[in-house]
Amino acid sequence: MNTPDQVVIGIDVGSTTVKMTVVDPGSKEILWSKYLRHETRQPEMTRDMLREIHAAFPSLTKDQIRVFITGSGGSPIAPQIGAKFVQEVNAVTMAVEKLHPDVGSVIELGGQDAKIIMFKKNNETGDKTAQTSMNDKCASGTGATIDKCVLKVGMPREEVPSLKFDPTKLHHVAAKCGVFAETDIVNLVKSGIPRNEIMNSLADAIVSQNLAVLTRGNTLKSKVLLLGGPNTYLPFLQECWRLRIPEAWAERGYEYDKTVPIEDLIFVPKNSDLYAAYGAVLFGLYEPETVGRYRGLEPLEEFIQHGRKSKLGESAGPGLVEVSEQRDAFVDKYRTPDYDDAVLEAGKTYRGVIGLDGGSTSSKCVFIDENENILKKVYTLSKGNPIQDMKDMFRDMRTWAADQGATLEVTGFGVTGYAGDVLERSLGADANIVETVAHMMSAKRWFPSVDVICDIGGQDIKVMFMQNGDVKNFRLSNSCSAGNGMLLQAMADQFGIPVKQYAEVAFEARLAPKFSYGCAVFLDSDRVNFQKEGYAKEELLAGLALVLPKNIWQYVVQIPRMAELGRVFVLQGGTQKNLAALKAQVDYIEKRVPNAEVYLHPHCGEAGAIGAAFESLRVTRRRGKTSFVGLDQAIDIDYTATNDEKTRCNFCPNNCSRTFIDTKTLDGKTARYISGFSCEKGTVENLDALKVLNKERQKRMKQYPNLVDYEAKLAFKSFYEPPVMPSHGTPVDDVVVKRTLLGAVRHKPVQRPFQRASAEVWAKRKDVRIGIPRVLNLYSTGPFWRTYFEVVGIDSRNVVFSDETGEEMWQAGCKYGSVDPCYPSKVCQAHIHNLLFKHHEKKPLNYIFFPSITHIPTFIVNQMDTASCPVVSGTPKVIRAAFTKETDFFAERKISYLDTAVTLNEPLLCKQQMFDEWGPLLGLTSDESDFAIDQAFKAVQAFEDEMERKGREILDEVTRENRVALVMLGRPYHNDPGLNHSVLEEFQALGYPILSMRSLPRDPETIKNLFAEDLAKGIIESGLDVSDVWPENYSTNSVQKVWAAKYAARHPNLACLDLSSFKCGHDAPTYGLIDSIIASAGKAYSALHDIDANKPSGSIKIRVKTYAHTLMLLKEKLEDQAVKKQELDRSMTEKKLEMMIALQTKLAGVGRTDDKLDRAIKTLDEQVAAWRAADEATKPKAKRPQALNVMRQ
Amino acid sequence: MSTTNDKNGSKLDDMSIEAIEAELKQFEIEERKRLGLPVDSAKQWFDAVPRTFTRDQREHTTILVSGLTMAHDLFIQAALRGIGYKVLAMDVPDNDALQYGREYGNRGQCNPTYFTVGNLVKYLDGLRDRGMSKDEIVKNHVFITAGACGPCRFGTYVTEYRKALRDSGFDGFRVLLFQQTGGLKQATGEGVGLEMNPTFFWGVVRAILIGDVLNSLGYRIRPYEVEAGAADRALETSKKIISDAFEQGTSLPVALWKARRELAKVKVDRTRAKPRVGIIGEFWAMTTEGDGNYGLQRFLEAEGAEPDIQIVTSWLLYMIWQGKYDTEQRANLRGVDKAKDEHGGSKFSLKGVDVRKRTASLWAGEQVLRGLFQTFAKAMGLYDYHLPDMDQIAEVSHAFYDNNLRGGEGHMEIGKLIQNVAYSKVNMTLSVKPFGCMPSSSVSDGIQSFITELYPQGIFLPIETNGDGAVNVYSRVQMQLFKAKQQAQKEVDKALADIGMTMDEVRAYLDKHPSMMSPFHRSPHKAGCTAADLVYEVGARKNRLSFLKERVIARVTSKDEKSHAEAHERLLAVARNAAAKTRKKNSIVSVAPEIEGTEAEDAKRPPVPAGRKSLRVVN
Repeated sequence: MNTPDQVVIGIDVGSTTVKMTVVDPGSKEILWSKYLRHETRQPEMTRDMLREIHAAFPSLTKDQIRVFITGSGGSPIAPQIGAKFVQEVNAVTMAVEKLHPDVGSVIELGGQDAKIIMFKKNNETGDKTAQTSMNDKCASGTGATIDKCVLKVGMPREEVPSLKFDPTKLHHVAAKCGVFAETDIVNLVKSGIPRNEIMNSLADAIVSQNLAVLTRGNTLKSKVLLLGGPNTYLPFLQECWRLRIPEAWAERGYEYDKTVPIEDLIFVPKNSDLYAAYGAVLFGLYEPETVGRYRGLEPLEEFIQHGRKSKLGESAGPGLVEVSEQRDAFVDKYRTPDYDDAVLEAGKTYRGVIGLDGGSTSSKCVFIDENENILKKVYTLSKGNPIQDMKDMFRDMRTWAADQGATLEVTGFGVTGYAGDVLERSLGADANIVETVAHMMSAKRWFPSVDVICDIGGQDIKVMFMQNGDVKNFRLSNSCSAGNGMLLQAMADQFGIPVKQYAEVAFEARLAPKFSYGCAVFLDSDRVNFQKEGYAKEELLAGLALVLPKNIWQYVVQIPRMAELGRVFVLQGGTQKNLAALKAQVDYIEKRVPNAEVYLHPHCGEAGAIGAAFESLRVTRRRGKTSFVGLDQAIDIDYTATNDEKTRCNFCPNNCSRTFIDTKTLDGKTARYISGFSCEKGTVENLDALKVLNKERQKRMKQYPNLVDYEAKLAFKSFYEPPVMPSHGTPVDDVVVKRTLLGAVRHKPVQRPFQRASAEVWAKRKDVRIGIPRVLNLYSTGPFWRTYFEVVGIDSRNVVFSDETGEEMWQAGCKYGSVDPCYPSKVCQAHIHNLLFKHHEKKPLNYIFFPSITHIPTFIVNQMDTASCPVVSGTPKVIRAAFTKETDFFAERKISYLDTAVTLNEPLLCKQQMFDEWGPLLGLTSDESDFAIDQAFKAVQAFEDEMERKGREILDEVTRENRVALVMLGRPYHNDPGLNHSVLEEFQALGYPILSMRSLPRDPETIKNLFAEDLAKGIIESGLDVSDVWPENYSTNSVQKVWAAKYAARHPNLACLDLSSFKCGHDAPTYGLIDSIIASAGKAYSALHDIDANKPSGSIKIRVKTYAHTLMLLKEKLEDQAVKKQELDRSMTEKKLEMMIALQTKLAGVGRTDDKLDRAIKTLDEQVAAWRAADEATKPKAKRPQALNVMRQ
Repeated sequence: MSTTNDKNGSKLDDMSIEAIEAELKQFEIEERKRLGLPVDSAKQWFDAVPRTFTRDQREHTTILVSGLTMAHDLFIQAALRGIGYKVLAMDVPDNDALQYGREYGNRGQCNPTYFTVGNLVKYLDGLRDRGMSKDEIVKNHVFITAGACGPCRFGTYVTEYRKALRDSGFDGFRVLLFQQTGGLKQATGEGVGLEMNPTFFWGVVRAILIGDVLNSLGYRIRPYEVEAGAADRALETSKKIISDAFEQGTSLPVALWKARRELAKVKVDRTRAKPRVGIIGEFWAMTTEGDGNYGLQRFLEAEGAEPDIQIVTSWLLYMIWQGKYDTEQRANLRGVDKAKDEHGGSKFSLKGVDVRKRTASLWAGEQVLRGLFQTFAKAMGLYDYHLPDMDQIAEVSHAFYDNNLRGGEGHMEIGKLIQNVAYSKVNMTLSVKPFGCMPSSSVSDGIQSFITELYPQGIFLPIETNGDGAVNVYSRVQMQLFKAKQQAQKEVDKALADIGMTMDEVRAYLDKHPSMMSPFHRSPHKAGCTAADLVYEVGARKNRLSFLKERVIARVTSKDEKSHAEAHERLLAVARNAAAKTRKKNSIVSVAPEIEGTEAEDAKRPPVPAGRKSLRVVN
């Protein structure tokens, strides 16, 4: 190789690798290149590679070298070697422009982020400009996510490159963010879906997410260049792009050269790793000669030796311990007692129960004898099939006994965790309890006075608050706060440290970076940053342990005053075995809770399994027998897992891909467990079974009505009968407005004839078709719009609402968005898509009307304003932008899209706004339009009245029968089953009627009774006022939510279920308020916050089951109290009677009488006599206390 | 009342039904206890909303303020001290404040909430750490903050302050809410602690305006300073001079003049091609100068750009514009809607409002504000500064972001972007969107992406700020800044080519004309970046005679204004055409234009209703 006089070095320091190229500035030819994994030692690796370059070009002096550096880890290194830092995307853009002038767009997926570059031609200047976009923080972790998921599905690394993309077998995975995706993947693994299908689903999700969000609504132009590690090394990902991009092209009518094979249109270039490094050089060639002069290696050496550390001290916090004595003391105190499996006596039979916890990442199993001693623990990493995991563990257990010559007799079997259902069905478990209850039972066994149980597993965080020996309340991590335990483990893995040594290493750190708590993706991106800053692994591990309690208490629990929760804390769950994580938590709690007692569960990893075992012990003791098939039968159980087209559920448009796990028991029967479905319909195998199921459902619906569902349907029905519109010429009252020269306003009342348009115009209106998306505030104002259009003469069949939100609808229409707001707003694009591509295709629409509702009237009094949420009112505008940006989808179909801004709180202004919009379009006279508005308001009132009537019926009934009803606290659109994930139906199925906020009776009498105490104290003037808890009450929907919480807090028969969408800005201020309101009243409460497009079935299930447990206790309490109240009533009456008779006797003694007293005695006596008669009838021999027989004296 | 007939019985009390009832009550309590039934009804939650601040507490009470830029907070502190209050401006919120906000605030709040709420808790926590008791802290401090009636979360900041204060152990701490419309919410009656009188407002308004002027000057001068740090030193001295004048009640004009003298000492070199970067976005995030936006302004300067900031006065103008728009929209209605009372109604209603008076006072308010601003601007050397034309911003953005939609910066984020591109005000526009901001990141972001489609030549970058991940944000800014730098250089090269001079010649010319080297000098606006403007000005001036001649001609014919207006009009037309396309809708009928007196023209048609004109449907 001829060494030129000058060379330019391009360095790319990425999140996992360092890449370098040496380029001849004259020919721009690459003379030398290399890339290596840096294992977080970026400066060292850079130094080593530069040394290699020196060795390869021995004749070059440093004056002959210029250096340009790029990549996420480049900036701290740049000044040390004299390099100029070049932004990564710019570097890639330069390289692509040089090497592939015909490329229209670039997709680069990295470890942490994704970037898209789109080359656009400016029609004015003819210049080609590059538009670039990078993913925002919430959607990062693409490459890292794939890596983690490969681990989760248990796919050997070498198998990954040979994987083929198969679009026919895909399952739902949310790629919105890494943690969401992982949660879905865990669920798929648990459902026994084959790993290649899971990986394909993940690839598809990542591709769809990038196409939907990262392109910001633009179409990727051909040719498409794929760059970055995942794109290069995962052929199935490439195949997925090659499938999905042309689909998007077809949908958007984008013309591309179809003669070129798709592999050439969407391609991965050779040496794709080096693009950024090479681009940095090209970039540098534009810079003045003085820029990027190489300084040699000495300053870098100096930096590696000393520079980094001194910088860190400024921003870091202290480590876990200051001196090693602290560590030793802590370890001594919290070391779990050594556990060894019991030694069995040969020839003896051991009777006991098995508890099994099918957790997210691992499964645990315990054998407990009838005296509650733990004899054996078994643990296995989940292999994706709960049956197989069980078999392996049971076999272990049997072998353990057999090796010692003993026999196990299993007298009971209890399960909990993700795998609970499948094992219950196939093995006949005696108990299948929800994890939270299992953990509680286990903690109580060792710590009877426990106040707070904090269980940290691999995926979930569960915190339970106890009262009187039962769960009073609980908090559960959601999709956004899950995966903390896993992250600790993954981090240890990354540094090549066995997780058992995590604590040992972390305790060495004397300073620790301050991670900002939050979701695991955020933490991971922090980790990358800290690593760049030069923190050592022990410091990172310590920092990550230190952030765990913040995540638990500040992010998941959200109760800042911890001392109010109690004093005795029990920490359990697999992650607690990590003493570093434990120390961080103990310190955190002790700092905030005076005299806290913090205990570590002696079997913290198996707490769930132990709880399940205890429960089975209790159940079998009561029942006297077990339903368990037996240990040997369980081990020998045959199963087949089928997942193909035949097992796909076709009962609804979701077409869930299901897995049938068929287990054969020894008596030849088949127990089928179906997994992978997202709704109840998926639980049946054929149509007849569905019919039965539907019948059951109907019956249940009637018995326990769901008013949320009812409201969702009613809002869009044509139910209001308006009066006939006045005929032309009917005298009407009006006001003439005049503006004076100086702008003053004069109003003059007049009477004039009503004006109607001609019959021809009315005839034309009849056939006009108007599409309206079934979204957002339309759920509370639907009757308004429908009535308006019907009154002005549009056929009721021509007022067309889009379908209810569903998975299929979302998938079909989710690719228009350029922003990523809350799901309720984001889903609007799919509804517009539904109107355009489904309803319009069926029968053409003339208009799509999506009003921007700015204000909504309310029944709340004393409210500051009646504002809608700004996202909700602005979404129609965002939708317009999205659907007209590149192609005008409306104009193409001759549809007018109307996003009229309307305030519903000012009827006169509303009339003006609606007439201004619709008058010219439908040939309305202002009188017609105004009349229709008046009727529209009445229709809304009728809607509200109907809901209230229904609500009153239910509430009266449950009050009478001492039952519990659930009220959903949510925003109007949470009525949409696609947005509330049908979670209400689950409670309905358990026998709780569901009320909507609108259906809470608000008649003066009810309100006065319910809020009597507050009214008496004078803190509010009306029961419809919320200023006692929230003076800043201007947002109609939020305020109604808070009011409903107050209502439920005061009504003995109501419990709340609080729904809130991910990113909901207006719900955020209400979290604390609702919590205070409900907690202060000591009411039952459960929340499902951060709802998004994906349905986290696993976590919903835990919530529903745990809350069902609470509701059951509440119901029992109501029943008990009702009985006691009767008793109280009777004893009070009898006491009163007794006292009155005494008074009567006294009066008689002084020769006086009192008529009123005599009458009262008579009434009371009759009442008491009636009771007594009833007693006699039911229990003829029951003896009443003598005191009651006063009347006979 | 039922009593016995005995008038002289001493045990009358024992012998009444009332006495029995009273005894029964006691019996009930015992029975309830026996049966395990609750004795008292559940305790319901109630927020006492502490905000009593009386005159006699003034002596020992420190009023805490914060929330704007460092200069503003300092001047407000000084102005209020000057009229006799004990005031302390807290530091600009940093990442520690964010952590406090996250710990004690609700989950899912927007970033400005976390930063500002956390900042107060952090300060109070610091006092506690230094040994002050909770009671002392609560007794001796109040916090005053601005609020609104929505529709975004800005209106609920004070709810969040109370929650965070309660949860961090400062129960009873008083937060006074200064409503943007409608004065201060505090205990009313005799002797209020904070008097919202003209003296107060005069002080605050001057502090805001002067803060704006000083900040704008700083961002104009600092990027071009010859000696690093000179501008900051001059600015610090100026701040001290001005705040002393506020605090000691000495002459403000003299102080402004002195400050100007300090700033005049900074040597600048505007021949360096630096892209001008307009910062728009959510109000707090684009205004703050700390971790809340990763110190974006300073970062841009360090990366070789000239930041073009938004000022607080614009926000005040937006408030006035809202008042005008909302009034005008309702003035022509046939009647007035119900005014807000405890049973509903609207706060926008014109019931009982003298429209003429309100319009006139809003107009006058705007004139005074603009006049005062320009007076201070001229006094301090901020020349040729154009306060935004709110009506135009509203007009160009309306079709894309309806003027009726409020919250945050509302349509302004769209309007300012259009103006920035259409007027080539800047080389690049950065829209700062705090994490979780509803109007900014969920609405205007989507519409801005449509606007960038209209103006492919504009360099635009929306960035989300969430307190962490600074590296990513910087990287994205650098990415766009690269293009902006190229654009700025192109502009300068073109300018040089247009005037036929080299940069060295331009520099030589400048050396001979020191007035153009003044830090206050402002070249007429021609291009996006300052250097190009300067080059064009040198080109125009190099021939002194023809320059003067042209200037006279231009003055007479308003040639410059006209050509500017035309050029701008062409670009604004893009937005207007797109808007017209958006507004075009298919009708099922033909509608005649609205004409007065249709009766006379077409006797057969029914009479037009009084008040609002109806439409004339032709078929």
